[in-house]
Amino acid sequence: MIEVLQAGLCDLVMDRGRPGQSALGVPAGGAADPDAFAAANRLVGNDDGAAGLEIAQRGPLLRFPRGAVVALTGVPFAARRSSGAPVAWNETLVLAAGESLHLEQARHGCRCWLAVQGGIAVPSLLGSRSTFLPGAFGGHAGRALRAGDCLALGMAVREVRLRRGRPPLRDAATPLRVVAGPQAGQFDDAGLAAFFGSAYRVDAAADRRGVRLAGPAVSHVRGELPSQGVLPGAIQVPPDGQPIILGWDGPVTGGYPVIATVIGADWSRLAQLRTGDAARFATVGVEAARALAQEDWDIRDLG
Amino acid sequence: MAKRSTGQPIASPDWRWIGERGVRVPTGTATLARYEALTAYGFPEIEDIIPADGSILLVLRRGAVLPPALCEALQAPLPGVASAGTLHEIAVAYGGAAGPDLPALARQAGLAVDDYVDRHAAVVYAVAFLGFQPGFPYLRGLPSALHAGRRASPRLRVPAGSVAIGGAYAGIYPAAGPGGWQLIGHADAVLFDAAREAPALLRPGDRVRFVPR
Repeated sequence: MIEVLQAGLCDLVMDRGRPGQSALGVPAGGAADPDAFAAANRLVGNDDGAAGLEIAQRGPLLRFPRGAVVALTGVPFAARRSSGAPVAWNETLVLAAGESLHLEQARHGCRCWLAVQGGIAVPSLLGSRSTFLPGAFGGHAGRALRAGDCLALGMAVREVRLRRGRPPLRDAATPLRVVAGPQAGQFDDAGLAAFFGSAYRVDAAADRRGVRLAGPAVSHVRGELPSQGVLPGAIQVPPDGQPIILGWDGPVTGGYPVIATVIGADWSRLAQLRTGDAARFATVGVEAARALAQEDWDIRDLG
Repeated sequence: MAKRSTGQPIASPDWRWIGERGVRVPTGTATLARYEALTAYGFPEIEDIIPADGSILLVLRRGAVLPPALCEALQAPLPGVASAGTLHEIAVAYGGAAGPDLPALARQAGLAVDDYVDRHAAVVYAVAFLGFQPGFPYLRGLPSALHAGRRASPRLRVPAGSVAIGGAYAGIYPAAGPGGWQLIGHADAVLFDAAREAPALLRPGDRVRFVPR
């Protein structure tokens, strides 16, 4: 069991999400960096589909009355254990009975993921335990955690081994990689030059529905088009020319032209954008994007 | 323009990539029939299919490539008559606080408010697709005199159950949230409940008639 002594800014129960429900208007959702989330699960001996926590910007104070085996991935937060033991990221941590874990502020970036051996045992809705905040369902009562919440844990599926993981190397200073289109043809030369040649500032992040950008207006020929299916990472440009990167809980259809889409390999960076960050974009081909998506964490037993 | 992949040919010049996992395929007026036919094929490479307005988006599983038989499947003839979906009668309280845009829309259409409501309720709409929010229906069949553009500035909070008009579509907001459509009334029907066996009240292909209360 996990007791929430103090809630963070937005602590959400997440798993791999619920793909396959888009025809009902329900996005796949799930952990914003699926690879980092899966790595956390592997570090505690869970299957990849187990539910854990996604923690944004300022985290919770959690108590583990019976102890737990946990792992943290994503960006490092200032963090403390009541035992005084160090809180390492990307590593199996064994918490003693009654121990608490306080995840304070993200040192940089936005999100981290906490996996717990056995997984968080909330009911599965539409095939997933992920919280979908815009629809107030899934996860723990369809909402972010609050002080006083208690989360039950599932049974461990295998013996725990102490492990350490290393994420694929990705340079945060380089442009976000995108596949251009499908409506790139609706933008004029000035609009394309602005989008691919400028730095945009993140206007409001930490919202899983989307990230608004501010910068040189991306001019286009037609403001609206018939609604089309869209995916997380798709960059819509409304009539005011200020791009919006659709997030994991964004709508499944959209009526604004999509100039480009952030590739899956860079979701790990998309998940870490916060207000005030700069974002630039560079195109890659579909084949290159697919190859980059195959890069995975390197996870090894310790000792 | 979109850079084409080098290794994997995209099978038709009309198809467009959305990222490395989405393929947007135009479907004209046969969107639903195409959606149903492709769903029935059950390609293991395809994780999800999103029907929309004149196109579908195929979402590939991570690492999967386009199924070789996809092109063929997309060109296969469709059944002449689509299966008729369920007809839903949805009671609506038109106007008042829940339909703040009704007077202005009626004026724009050159109609008395009652006539506007009569026309809105006289039609059997078809659910073209769901999107925007879980269970939000895009209803085809709105009389052209009733078409109305979205609001220049979206409302920050549209109440759940709001009956609305967006361009050529009628719709109903299943949940409260921001929204740019014109609001003309309110329905008590619960359009989406994730805990229900059929979470979405309306499915693509269903039909809807509004009944003034």
